[in-house]
Amino acid sequence: MATLKDRIEEVRKAFEEAAPQAGDAKSVEELRTAFLGRKRGRIMLLFEELKSAPAEEKREAGRLVNELKVAVVDRLQALENGALMAVRPAREIDLTLPGRQRYVGRPHPLTLFQEEIERIFLSMGFAIEEGPEIETDYYNFEALNFPPHHPARDKWDTLFIKGDLLLRTHTSPVQVRVMERTKPPIRIICPGRVFRRETPDPTHLPMFLQVEGLVVDQGVTFANLKGTLEHFLRALFGEKVKVRFRPSYFPFTEPSAEVDIECLVCSGRDPDCRVCGGTGWKEILGSGMVDPQVLKNVNIDPEKYSGWAFGLGVDRTAMFAFGIPEMRYFYENDLRFLRQFGAK
Amino acid sequence: MKISQDWIREYVAVDLPRQELVDRLTMIGWVPETVEEKDGDLILDLETYANRPDTLGHLGVARELGALLRLPLLEKDWPVAELDEETAAVADVQIAAEALCPRYCGLVVRGVPVGPSPEWMRRRLEAVGLRPINNIVDVSNYVLFATGQPLHTFDFGRIGGGRIVVREAKRGETLVDLDGRTLALEPGMLVIADESRPVALAGIIGGQASGISESTRDVFIESACFDPIGIRKTAKKLGLATDASYRFERGADIGFAPQGARMAASLLTQMGGRASRGLIDCYPRPPKALRVRLRLRRVAELLGVVVPEEFVVDVLGRLGFRLEPAAHHAWRVDVPTFRVDVSREADLVEEVARFYGYDRIPPRVTPVDSFPLAANRSRERLARIRQALLGQGFDEVINWSFADPEREAAAAGGRTPVAIQNPFSNRASVMRTTLLPGLVENAAWNLNRGLEGVHVFETGNVYYWVDEKKHREDLHLGLLSTGLRPGAGPSGAPAEADFFTVKGAVEAALEALRFDPVVFEERDHPSFEPGSALAVLYRGQAVGFVGTLRAAFTAGASVERPVIAGEIDLSALFGKTPRPFEFVPVPKFPGVVRDFSFLVDRAVPYGDAARILGRLDQPLLEGFELVDRFAGPPVPEGRVSLTIRLRFRHPQRTLVAGEVDKAAQEIIGHLKAALDIQLREGIN
Repeated sequence: MATLKDRIEEVRKAFEEAAPQAGDAKSVEELRTAFLGRKRGRIMLLFEELKSAPAEEKREAGRLVNELKVAVVDRLQALENGALMAVRPAREIDLTLPGRQRYVGRPHPLTLFQEEIERIFLSMGFAIEEGPEIETDYYNFEALNFPPHHPARDKWDTLFIKGDLLLRTHTSPVQVRVMERTKPPIRIICPGRVFRRETPDPTHLPMFLQVEGLVVDQGVTFANLKGTLEHFLRALFGEKVKVRFRPSYFPFTEPSAEVDIECLVCSGRDPDCRVCGGTGWKEILGSGMVDPQVLKNVNIDPEKYSGWAFGLGVDRTAMFAFGIPEMRYFYENDLRFLRQFGAK
Repeated sequence: MKISQDWIREYVAVDLPRQELVDRLTMIGWVPETVEEKDGDLILDLETYANRPDTLGHLGVARELGALLRLPLLEKDWPVAELDEETAAVADVQIAAEALCPRYCGLVVRGVPVGPSPEWMRRRLEAVGLRPINNIVDVSNYVLFATGQPLHTFDFGRIGGGRIVVREAKRGETLVDLDGRTLALEPGMLVIADESRPVALAGIIGGQASGISESTRDVFIESACFDPIGIRKTAKKLGLATDASYRFERGADIGFAPQGARMAASLLTQMGGRASRGLIDCYPRPPKALRVRLRLRRVAELLGVVVPEEFVVDVLGRLGFRLEPAAHHAWRVDVPTFRVDVSREADLVEEVARFYGYDRIPPRVTPVDSFPLAANRSRERLARIRQALLGQGFDEVINWSFADPEREAAAAGGRTPVAIQNPFSNRASVMRTTLLPGLVENAAWNLNRGLEGVHVFETGNVYYWVDEKKHREDLHLGLLSTGLRPGAGPSGAPAEADFFTVKGAVEAALEALRFDPVVFEERDHPSFEPGSALAVLYRGQAVGFVGTLRAAFTAGASVERPVIAGEIDLSALFGKTPRPFEFVPVPKFPGVVRDFSFLVDRAVPYGDAARILGRLDQPLLEGFELVDRFAGPPVPEGRVSLTIRLRFRHPQRTLVAGEVDKAAQEIIGHLKAALDIQLREGIN
């Protein structure tokens, strides 16, 4: 049986015979694969063999294989350079210059993300409704079943204008306005800017974008809320995403549900996950069956009609979807940030 | 709120592995924000809800767990060692403000040696993050965190005349509170007073003078129920927030007041005190028990799932509701006093749903039997505008609706901004009346970071007062361009943006609306350099401006280069009706093109020539464009050469040279007469 040393010599010969045949880049690459390929390259196989070689042979053989490898690498490099330098006809036009593009502006990432949300709901037969950003206490709070002086208002920390005017803290007032002027069936989403008296930090800003939705009809149930929102979240985050509904409290819905999706970052595997805090779940939206008092406030009979509603922060959802650590990036309007999302 | 598992176990025999406990609490609405092990105990920091004051103590959380796990709630006895003297004989309680204090209970405990609390009680308090102080203060904290009922303990020796008067504060009264602050009181604020002065701010904080000290011998225990709105108004006004006010403003359990006092008395008698006989219980108008109808059918109608009748009865019973069967699978439900959140059928349905499990309700897509016919027009128009501007190479930005009042004044729009009463920052204390300062800010930010050009637009509202009472918010388009335009290829140097970049973008955006074309007219505006702005007119009404921003304005944001910008009031335009779309057949016969170059005085704008050409009654003239404009040699000083391309066509036949020549001569004749033009040599 041939010794390892013999086989090294054999491989060297084989390479030296093959090398002069390689004239273009493609054949140089083939040669590289045949001799240096990670799995089946002949030199790589020699290294494998070396592992089980007897100790007395190992040192000498090891040196030889290494020398061979260095020689082959050098030769291949030389061949490759040669292949590129091969004589080519002079050209009038250098076709490898970059193409000429007309610059098309990029939409803001929040607009993009909001449009994606809108598209999903439009496909389910929802209409888009808008309303004023300077609202009255009635539409922003009272009609939504926040009694005056109720501590529930603390969660919707408000910027006040004067008298009963304030900056809307959610787009729910649009829901109230639509219910006041429309008869069921109602199926709408309300996107828009909302305002809270927040001290800016990575996940809180005094202004952000929200999309809320509302369905009112006969026979609408919590099961419908679940089915529709699950569909929405799968359309937005992917078919396989896990969704969970858990009880919560909002003055304007009863029963209320917070909706979580599984953490896209760690899938619940990282106890110190920055995104989900190790719970494996990320809160995405608030929802619930429209409170009967809210329906009464707009003269819709809660015995005859029922409804469900949801609200979601566009900014925070986009942060989660794109892995953006700070909300303020959206409003700094650094073009190096904004322009990335056109390619999303 | 921090909850100790060991403490919970005093009320219900929970025995779940840590993760299961966390998950199951979460799925009935109690989300542990943190979970930590401490000395063999498990401490859960539960998210609280503004409508569930009953869960602001361990008892309430235990009740929830009992209902979830079908475990009984464990009752405890609170035996009290009593003296012979009647409470009523030593203390006199009067409620002088019934609306603010519907119930007040109290008793006296004599001879408690003030000192450290027993080890077990200190451990309980420390577990939920409290610092033990002394046995008497600790007992009131213990009862609060055990049951959610806030108590107050007075040094009875310092209550003048043994009189407890629950009344509104008088104008000018003050109280030095337990933390040493002097509170200025006023009518509307509820106080506990003795025969002469306030000794506590009811339901919020005690007074220093009547507080427990080392020399305290006799203690008056207060266990009351105060009006939530009154407490909230007072606490907000004085900027106070305490464990007691937090609970009272959410609603205390009016039924529990006597038991709270008894519990405290029992604990204090275990520490060596003796309680006065009988509890004072001032309860002038006990409210009628709240009764709510619940129909099994309604549970299914709202939830979309049939929940078994036995389940409904069992879970509501465990939560403390009393169900009395009525006809047709319905119940009359007595709501316990601690459930201040429940008053309607829907509230009960939520309780059923929570414990039945939201995860067991089958998801069903909302059935749709009709679709909206009309699109949202203003959004559709906005989308067209955005698309056009992106196509013109402008990037979209979104700026704050807030503005710095000084920068806003510098933008000189002249409108009265809407001020915010409680801004989060003085530099964002008004609402913007124009989009321009935000865009200039964007230019500054990006130029300072090495970008060679900034071409951006924003669509969003501006806000202003029309008069004292009436405000408006209008949807505006703002756009700004400065520096090199992006996207030049290998053979072309990137172009510098100029006035016509922005003017062209405005034209493109507005053309996308298919309205009547806008007209530009030279007009000054305070935001723009004099003589370099155009008003954008739609049917004679100014709807916006484009121009070079005033240097003083841009320099304020440290932008030193020329900035072209424009702002259009889209609200004014979106109300209009676009031209109906009409298809025009593609011409069948060839047209003829004639270029004319002529010299004209430099003071004569191209717009004048265009206006004359546009008004001609010349049926063969299909259209015209400016193809060249040139000044400098060989064009004489003071004049400019314009080349205009005229396009002729007849709809029904091929044109003959003669008729084109004739029409062209007539057109040139018109221009000559109106503008003193001179045809250049060598051009036919």
